[in-house]
Amino acid sequence: MSKTKKLSKVFDYFKDEDPFSGGLTLCPGCPLELLLRFTARVLGKEIVFVGTPSCSATVLYGQNTRSWHKLAYYSCLMTGVASSATGIARYYRKLGKDITVVAFTGDGCSADIGFQPLSGAAERNENFIYITYDNEGYMNTGIQKSSTTPVGARTSTTPVGETRRGNPNPGKNMPLLMAMHKIPYAATATLSHLDDLAKKLVKAKEKKNEGLAYVHVYSPCPTGWGFDSDLSIAICRLAVQTNYFPLWEAERGRFRFTRKTAKPKPLKDLIKLIGKFSHFTDEDLIVLEKEVEERYQLIEGMARTWPLNA
Amino acid sequence: MARIKIHVEYEGGWSDAGKPLLCLDTGSWRSVRPVLDKEKCTYCGWCALYCPTQCMIDKGEYFLPNFDFCKGCGICGKECPQDAIGMVSEGAFKDEDKDGK
Amino acid sequence: MENRGKVRTLTGNAAAAYSAMLCSPDVVALYPITPQSEVIEQLASFHAEGLLDAEMVEVEGENSAINVVTSASMAGARVFTATSSWGLAYMYDGMLQASGFRAPVVMVNVNREMPGILAVSSGQQDMTSTRDSGWIQVVAEDCQEICDLVIMAYRLAEDHEIQLPVMVNYDGFYLSYLAEGVNLPGREDVDIFLAPLKDQPPRPVLVPGEPLGCGTHGILEGFVELRYKHSVAMERARAKFDAIDGLFKDSFGRSYGGQIEEYRTDDADIVLVVSGSAAGTAKAVVDSARDLGEKVGVVKLRMFRPFPRERMTRALRGKKGIGVIDRSVCFGWNSGPLFMELKAVSTEIGKIPTMNFIDGLANTDITTEHIVKMIADVRKAAAGEPFQAVTWVSLEE
Repeated sequence: MSKTKKLSKVFDYFKDEDPFSGGLTLCPGCPLELLLRFTARVLGKEIVFVGTPSCSATVLYGQNTRSWHKLAYYSCLMTGVASSATGIARYYRKLGKDITVVAFTGDGCSADIGFQPLSGAAERNENFIYITYDNEGYMNTGIQKSSTTPVGARTSTTPVGETRRGNPNPGKNMPLLMAMHKIPYAATATLSHLDDLAKKLVKAKEKKNEGLAYVHVYSPCPTGWGFDSDLSIAICRLAVQTNYFPLWEAERGRFRFTRKTAKPKPLKDLIKLIGKFSHFTDEDLIVLEKEVEERYQLIEGMARTWPLNA
Repeated sequence: MARIKIHVEYEGGWSDAGKPLLCLDTGSWRSVRPVLDKEKCTYCGWCALYCPTQCMIDKGEYFLPNFDFCKGCGICGKECPQDAIGMVSEGAFKDEDKDGK
Repeated sequence: MENRGKVRTLTGNAAAAYSAMLCSPDVVALYPITPQSEVIEQLASFHAEGLLDAEMVEVEGENSAINVVTSASMAGARVFTATSSWGLAYMYDGMLQASGFRAPVVMVNVNREMPGILAVSSGQQDMTSTRDSGWIQVVAEDCQEICDLVIMAYRLAEDHEIQLPVMVNYDGFYLSYLAEGVNLPGREDVDIFLAPLKDQPPRPVLVPGEPLGCGTHGILEGFVELRYKHSVAMERARAKFDAIDGLFKDSFGRSYGGQIEEYRTDDADIVLVVSGSAAGTAKAVVDSARDLGEKVGVVKLRMFRPFPRERMTRALRGKKGIGVIDRSVCFGWNSGPLFMELKAVSTEIGKIPTMNFIDGLANTDITTEHIVKMIADVRKAAAGEPFQAVTWVSLEE
């Protein structure tokens, strides 16, 4: 049997070597680890990361005078990420130097405590890239609910018991909220579709010259959600295939899908793999299905009414 | 009056990646490791692309993990389109020396 | 040096804005709050008229303001922002970052009441509530001093022996909206005064592609060492502030005494310790008292952080009675913060009857009558009569 030995074209997106240390303090199978290394390789070694206390901080920040990676970075509190990125970007703009500032946070920062400065930076169209890795909760501090935690999910602050059954609220549609600021670029991406992710990172880097570029990456957490570490990528893929996490991009309020699933798989295929939904009854599933359906239809409607031509 | 010893050279909280990078012995975390069936491999590279630690080394016709850093997550085994990677218990390798013999 | 300044009639806010503009900051964050809003409005119009070549960031909240200027400062920029009371409180987490990172940020804080009971009125509670933030805090008495302090603040903050953020305080309402004649320096002269900062060896800054990362996680002694260095830098700021006052006099002909101003204190029996605009009133009362033969003086506190312990001790040692006017409250001690801090050096000053007068909260005026009575009360205490340690002046019948 002859096999054609052909490397995936995704490798062509890599501009530089992986600037991170070989051994990082992230859980086995963590999509965030893949995202960090992948982003750095695609965007290149001249970027400045802006990070905050989170799972990513354990590798973005140094420890005393030593570092986990070779890149310039700025660490700040969750309240200050988008505003700190603004300060750096603005000063370099004054100097006339084109630099790439990459604010890199979890959903807890971008959707909750850091939302105000992010929204402000988006409204002012500041020139930087903001990447959210959405693991649907505050993972580093112990799996607490955030405002992107899906309805019904079990977290340590929305437990399942006598008086309650998980998260009562459907959560914020964060990427759509950002797209509604009419920023030059807003997109969703995930770690199973690396070609799509790479394209979006490259586009974000180009679009940040016009204003804020926002990329929202679905990043399942094996430790926090309760699934085996080898399923991380498979869960990303299922999230796309069930329309739970559709892949789209928007430029100044005009939308298009970058991947459309002709026959979406049933949501149950995704839910049954994830421990934080293990308490789900049929009714719980219907509630989540409805939410997923509505979100998808919303994007579909936007793409139809204000299409972004490829 | 006690003498104070200061080692840090900066006034503020700077870290310097010019010094050797911090590195954890994540290879010791493994309980299973990926084993490649080279016959099945088509050198597509998806194992290397999906590997969260990006520890796969390009051997020209296939990829092999760097076992100093492979955490044994199993993603490469799960994602290989040719099913060429199996996850094998570390126990099977407990007698090997540092060079993998 | 030839004084090339021009006298203009400026409110305190305008003086602050003009002065900041003359120092040519690179990045300015703007967010309004009464009684500071005119500062940023004036800066915005300077920018519109081409007088201020800076990145103007109209942020959506004070927390963003402090973060914008801190990060820009760590990238190497000269920065400026302004706030007051609640805005200062909202900045607090970013303020700790600015001082911990050793960012040479200069910020104007127009003193306004805080916390709790909402008050859109003057008071120093905002400044004193943030005295442990690790910032240098200085206070102005009048509009000229506001203008001069902003310039001196840059010279202090950006000195590499210091590298600390500086907060320039002045009383909201009393100074922010009061128009006085201000001798505004020429831009060239401010450039010359600040030029020595450029001759220093460069400080570490954030540069893309360089391996320096700003904001490492401090572990054990790594943290303690940086904290120690910060504390020691604060100690150096005292002498440096005095030195800058001397340099300012050489350049612009005006001196304020450095950390404290000792007004007619040499042979005084009774001394009032006060900061801010009330110092002006106190000086006027002291002049009248002196005309009647009373030996009274005023120590005007200009530098609140670091606390000017040596200079304050030398100024007060040997006096017969001390009256401390506090425009804020130190909760848990039922007194004012300045009184508390003086008590901390009481063993060095010596056992002198010291009375605390809490006055001027929420725009209740510190009048000449109040000060006359304060002097009288302190005189009685100095004579050995029993005295009340703390007086809430506006509440006493």
